[in-house]
Amino acid sequence: MLADWWQYDFLRYTLFSGILIGLICPILGTFLIVRRLSMMADGLSHVTLSGVAAGMLISKKIALFQAVNPLFFGMLFSVIGSLFIERLRKVYKSYQDLAIPIILSTGLGLFTVLISIAKGFNTDLYSYLFGKIVTVSKEDLYALIGVAAVVLGTVFLIYKELFAVSFDEEFARVSGVARRSINLWFMVLVALTIAASMRIVGVLLISALITLPVAASLQIAGSFRQTILYAIVFAETSVLAGLYFAYLLDWASGGTIVLVAVSILLIVLGVKKIKAALR
Amino acid sequence: MKAKHEDAVVKLTSVFFQYEEKVVLENINFSLERGDFVGIVGPNGSGKSTLMKLLLGLLPATKGTVELFGQPLSKFRDWSKIGYVAQQVAHGAGGFPATVREVVASGLVGKVGLFRRLQGKHHQKVEEVVERVGLTEKLDQRIGNLSGGQLQRVFIARALVAEPELLILDEPTVGVDQESIEQFYELLRSLKEENGMTMMIVSHDVGVMTQWVNKVACLQRKLHFHGSAHDFAHNHDKILQQMYGDSIKMLAHHH
Ligand SMILES: Nc1ncnc2c1ncn2[C@@H]1O[C@H](COP(=O)(O)OP(=O)(O)OP(=O)(O)O)[C@@H](O)[C@H]1O
Ligand SMILES: [Mg+2]
Repeated sequence: MLADWWQYDFLRYTLFSGILIGLICPILGTFLIVRRLSMMADGLSHVTLSGVAAGMLISKKIALFQAVNPLFFGMLFSVIGSLFIERLRKVYKSYQDLAIPIILSTGLGLFTVLISIAKGFNTDLYSYLFGKIVTVSKEDLYALIGVAAVVLGTVFLIYKELFAVSFDEEFARVSGVARRSINLWFMVLVALTIAASMRIVGVLLISALITLPVAASLQIAGSFRQTILYAIVFAETSVLAGLYFAYLLDWASGGTIVLVAVSILLIVLGVKKIKAALR
Repeated sequence: MKAKHEDAVVKLTSVFFQYEEKVVLENINFSLERGDFVGIVGPNGSGKSTLMKLLLGLLPATKGTVELFGQPLSKFRDWSKIGYVAQQVAHGAGGFPATVREVVASGLVGKVGLFRRLQGKHHQKVEEVVERVGLTEKLDQRIGNLSGGQLQRVFIARALVAEPELLILDEPTVGVDQESIEQFYELLRSLKEENGMTMMIVSHDVGVMTQWVNKVACLQRKLHFHGSAHDFAHNHDKILQQMYGDSIKMLAHHH
């Protein structure tokens, strides 16, 4: 069974993609959660979904676009959505999370309308919604490698700026940190990550992989660095175990990964409770 | 353009500020020389925090000019010269999963510069400053485990770690116990003597503060008094009476 993962190309692609997603989602997730923007991923994933639908519609109607991966339309929509969220956050300064339902319903509305225009798609939309192993292609993997490289590079280069802006935006500003550009760039990265991850975990479940490992990590981490590190460990565990069981049992990969992530969270909460009781 | 030595550290010329309709600051002329330690006094809502934010460029003046180290605010880039402790209005920082060390180190972000990483000397500086505010044994604890006053000292350390030339403190001693307040002012005095730091502090504890500062500014929309702490102490009752009205008598006679 395990040998299959090396034998078949699509499984190898899936495995590599999974490992990359398990690395970048919790990193971005940590910054999102401490800024109380964890729902952002949800909002953006729905916009991405409408982008994918738009991509499918265009490739169905216009021959020229037939070969274009709908994923790229998803990315495009997601990035536009993230810029729009930044704009809305500025307009509603004291209700920053209001930007998220606005963008979420826009995405979902657009999605349903596009589906109705297309009168359904023959391509398997289900895989974009919930994630499906067999659909991961080489092209998907390359897109993900590109996004992951940019995310990791960014976090390596401007970790201290990201920390400062997340912890105290006003102080960061007074320290001369270009907080506007950093915020914008960060949101673009979140958007790209969501779009690039959706083949594996699916659009509807990507926000779970961004938030659940961090939620568990927050319970036990002793520092910000540790929060990120533990979150990565939990996310990788969820992805690897989730993929393995999904393939073994023929379950939806996204759902299986999320169930593992939830289990980890419950175990962490349980262990913490037992420890507190024993003290 | 480099700041000349004789330039005022802070200079406000005919500055006005209003939030929509409400005029908060009116015709403020004010300057700070190198090495000044000025205390800002005024009742709640008198515009003290607004004044700080104006000169930090966090709010734009409606009218008038603000200069820092001889440069107009729009051209000023040397932000690592300035340390700031904001007024803490029930901040949600406590839940943030960071240690004292990490938060204090974030005070170096401007000084170290984009794309650069902290080095040994920076980490050493962080430990030094944390020791000065008396939190060494909390260095690697999450800030959520600190008391309100200890957290406030973390913010003070964060402002000090980059060794700023100008330190702006908006009610930094709220929630800090009596003994630590003394230590805190001692610390400020030694920083002033060692590095010639220029400082500006807002405090409602007029009695304690005026013993340490050398200049006082009284603010209530306009600048009511701006002079040496000595002159202030002499006319102290009259000035406060005029600014606060009768309600302040108790406070004024406290020290
Ligand atoms: N964001 C805002 N929008 C509108 N008005 C504001 C805003 N912030 C402050 N104000 C008003 O500006 C005035 C000055 O506020 P400021 O915070 O500068 O006072 P302060 O002197 O620092 O008071 P305190 O001693 O309570 O800290 C107040 O009357 C307040 O109502
Ligand atoms: Mg104030």
